Amino acid sequence: MERKELETQVINMVSTSYKKDAASLSTATLFKEDLGGASIQMVALVSEIENELDVELMLADASGCATIGDLVDLIEGEM
Amino acid sequence: MSVLDQIYLRAKENPRKVAFPEALNEKMMQAAYETGKEGYIIPVLVGNGNEIREAARERGYDEGVFTIVDITEEEYKKTLIDKYVALPQTILKEKALNRRMQNPLYYAMVMQAVDEADVTFAGIDNTTGDVLLAGQMIIGLKEGISTVSSIGLCDIPGFQGSEGSLLAIGDSAVCTNPDANQLADIAISACDTVKALLEWEPRCAMVSYSTLGSGQGELIDKVVEAVKLANEKRPDLAIDGEFQFDAAISPAVAEKKVNRESQVAGKANVVIWPDLNVGNVGVKLIQQFGHADAYGPMLQGFNKVVCDCSRGAPVSEIKGNIVISAVRAAGSN
Repeated sequence: MERKELETQVINMVSTSYKKDAASLSTATLFKEDLGGASIQMVALVSEIENELDVELMLADASGCATIGDLVDLIEGEM
Repeated sequence: MSVLDQIYLRAKENPRKVAFPEALNEKMMQAAYETGKEGYIIPVLVGNGNEIREAARERGYDEGVFTIVDITEEEYKKTLIDKYVALPQTILKEKALNRRMQNPLYYAMVMQAVDEADVTFAGIDNTTGDVLLAGQMIIGLKEGISTVSSIGLCDIPGFQGSEGSLLAIGDSAVCTNPDANQLADIAISACDTVKALLEWEPRCAMVSYSTLGSGQGELIDKVVEAVKLANEKRPDLAIDGEFQFDAAISPAVAEKKVNRESQVAGKANVVIWPDLNVGNVGVKLIQQFGHADAYGPMLQGFNKVVCDCSRGAPVSEIKGNIVISAVRAAGSN
């Protein structure tokens, strides 16, 4: 999968899990500062990544990502 | 009769199915066997069937006490997956679920989600983080609840509160620095937990270093906001504050400090700490100076009862927590 395609897919999944407009998100979006949210939303996101991309992430690793771009890097590393 | 004796009695009247995904663990199998043989629960051992049977035989247990669920048996697994993915608001799809269910912890929780078990009891081999993640992925949180939390039940010699020597406190173990919304959710979950477990009418005080505006500052603002949110979300519950701890539990202090009507002040049976620093120190003070027995922590906020026991827990403590979780499940239904 191309990097750009993966970024778009991850942004869409973040949009669903955090209930934010996908147009307002980018790879530079910060999870804590921009999205806030509780751990349950990260659990939903990790589950969605597992469903759609067949990649099983550790919650602690995903929660350690500062930006959406960092999460894309993490997923790429696991693919 | 002690509170634990009463809980044991209630468990025996209506034994529930408790799933044990760490059944091969010697202490866990012993606790499952004894609570099952004594009639408090129906123990369901989840894992590799042959390994479980062999371990039970070696340890001299009557296999008839257990229901053994073999996770390598494909037909039953498929039935569970079909039922699970048909449930509303589940987040894992078939393929991902199938993979996760190779782990008995996830398998047991799927059984629970589709009502093949009433409780999942784990934590002796898995970490708290493992149990919380699996619980959030498979069981999910209750509608409107944003965080997992916990309460403990303290039996404090010499304390004469509104429930005798008993007081429920939370959260002393899980949610480190709740915001106002999460703090409100902890209070709501705590009320539901004591109703299910103890059949109490909850009177829940949210405590801080101020009583109804006697102090000011952001630490207090959070508690005030949490009380407001909790009352908006669940007007059926008696949740009040902000109170100092003494104003929450002592009628004499409440009379002096609380100058308005309150269903809770001076007679709280549930106390909610503002954060985990207070909660952890609070429970240690109660144990060390009050010589209290503290039962729990009992996880709350999940759609169904998920129990995480301490990895160093002795069999007697595990048995107590198994029975408590079974009674909570019976009370929740």
